[in-house]
Amino acid sequence: MRYTLPGKNLGARMEQMNRFTKNLHYFSPTGKAGLIILSLFFLMAVFSARLTTHPHDVSSGKALMPPCFDHVLGTDDIGVDLWSQLVYGARISLLVGFLTAGISGCFGALVGMFAGYTGGWMDRFFMRIIDGMMVLPDLPVMIVLAAFFGPGLAQVILVLSLFSWVFTARIVRSRVLVIKQKEYVIYARISGAGPVYLMRKHLFPEVLPLVWVSMIRLAGKAIVAEAGLSFLGLGDPTSRSWGLIIYHATRFPGIYYTRFWTWWLLYPFLALSGMVLALAFVCRDLETLADPRMNQKISGGV
Amino acid sequence: MPGDPFLFLSGDQGEQISAYSDEQIRQYKACYGLDQPIFRSYLSYLADLFRGRLGQSLYFNESVGHIVLRRLPWTVFLVCGAILFSTVLGTALGSLSAFYRNRLLDNVLYGFMMFFSEIPAFLIGLFFLFVFAASLGLFPLSGALTSFSPDRSVVQVLKDIIHHAVLPVAALSLTRLGGMYLLVRNIMISIIPKAYMRTARAKGLSRYRIFIRHGLRNALLPLTTRIFMSLGTLVGGAVLVENVFAYPGLGLMISQAVMVHDYPLIQGIFLVITLLVLSANLMSEVLYRVLDPRVKDGEG
Repeated sequence: MRYTLPGKNLGARMEQMNRFTKNLHYFSPTGKAGLIILSLFFLMAVFSARLTTHPHDVSSGKALMPPCFDHVLGTDDIGVDLWSQLVYGARISLLVGFLTAGISGCFGALVGMFAGYTGGWMDRFFMRIIDGMMVLPDLPVMIVLAAFFGPGLAQVILVLSLFSWVFTARIVRSRVLVIKQKEYVIYARISGAGPVYLMRKHLFPEVLPLVWVSMIRLAGKAIVAEAGLSFLGLGDPTSRSWGLIIYHATRFPGIYYTRFWTWWLLYPFLALSGMVLALAFVCRDLETLADPRMNQKISGGV
Repeated sequence: MPGDPFLFLSGDQGEQISAYSDEQIRQYKACYGLDQPIFRSYLSYLADLFRGRLGQSLYFNESVGHIVLRRLPWTVFLVCGAILFSTVLGTALGSLSAFYRNRLLDNVLYGFMMFFSEIPAFLIGLFFLFVFAASLGLFPLSGALTSFSPDRSVVQVLKDIIHHAVLPVAALSLTRLGGMYLLVRNIMISIIPKAYMRTARAKGLSRYRIFIRHGLRNALLPLTTRIFMSLGTLVGGAVLVENVFAYPGLGLMISQAVMVHDYPLIQGIFLVITLLVLSANLMSEVLYRVLDPRVKDGEG
């Protein structure tokens, strides 16, 4: 992870990287475990082709075989190797999670900064929208939108981003409001600093840690939401998302009366839980690092 | 919305989907008003709404209002049950943790809560389903009531309903539990050292009385805030959990409706759910004023 700030020189960047790696030591044991698990998933996603011997989208063995030497985690109902599906599914989860986080994080940060800085009726207008969207039951709306836009990864990411940006916007706006009152900002404004300069030099660096934290949290939520949508059958049916594996497993007639679930359902379940938990632990530690004041009172799962 | 509802009308799952003739399709469309230009049908939909009619379901051939009314109580039951359970248990465990803070009980509970609050509700639901229902056979696999039973007394029916509801409600509550627990724990930790608590103890009030009347009172407002803020997510979780447990609520209905592209039904359910959540939030504003007269306008 590198801070890539526009207009900063190399020295400042290096210093920030050093500060970051030093901060890693402050991670709690769970945070470190989370980071390790996340990197494992990341490696799994990147090196999928090297890690699997069977194709992930074509039947390669007998259907519903239990874990054995040839198929490490067994096969599903059409004979596709489960381990390959899991490994390629990691790609989908990570892609959806971080793309959504990136898009909605950036957009939310921009809106939040703009609203916080501008103030007045425009700020109130955005706040109304944000409050309204935060209160809406997101999953039903996402279901309808996902069904409307059709299956497909891009559509899922779009729908998820549509709902995630509000969280970042809210946090960023609060912080901007606080910074706006600070003396050096007031002096800069009096001295004639334009809004772009203020945002670039003062607001943006202060807000950035919050944005990172918010993005990681959003990534977790997006991964869960994508799994949920796939579980309902609304995700991309060509992708081997973990939620989709669970979808097929639970739609298999008689799944409850057989032993197939001990591998077919268990491993995607473990993979999803593992990734979500890892992200959550990392997120918690980042929160305490980024802003020690907002540690215990506010965090604690959403 | 892409997808022709008449494709699904003409065949069940697994059956041959026969095509309707053009004449029949035109007849159906006229019947459901689908042949009018979009603007007109939107206006007539709004007009119907004001009269209280939500339209006719294309797949079930029944009034959308009736379908929604039949399913709504189950979803409300799940959501309210989850709120109740998570709030009560969260408060109890949070206070316990605050009382024994930093000792073993606190650390164990804290770790436990942190772990379970992050796992999404439908995954927990799946876990419960397969471990407690399928493997151990302790709970039923689906539905809200055992169908085809002979006449039973009210008590037996109630017991049956609760028996079916335990797993879904538990799955939904576990996700909220962590948040409530943490909130109460933190508030109580900051309250306990305060001077007035010591005064109350010096006055000779019992520990319970102090705890509840003076201590937990502070948690009341943040708890209600948290409950209402999370209502939207809770409803979303209920949708997924209903799908896991085949619980006959609005959640299951909306996913079935989306499968068959039953537009009026989707619109109706979606409208009802959103309106309910929004009005609950509006009600919460009134509730704040009642709970704490100090709350000024524009707060929260």
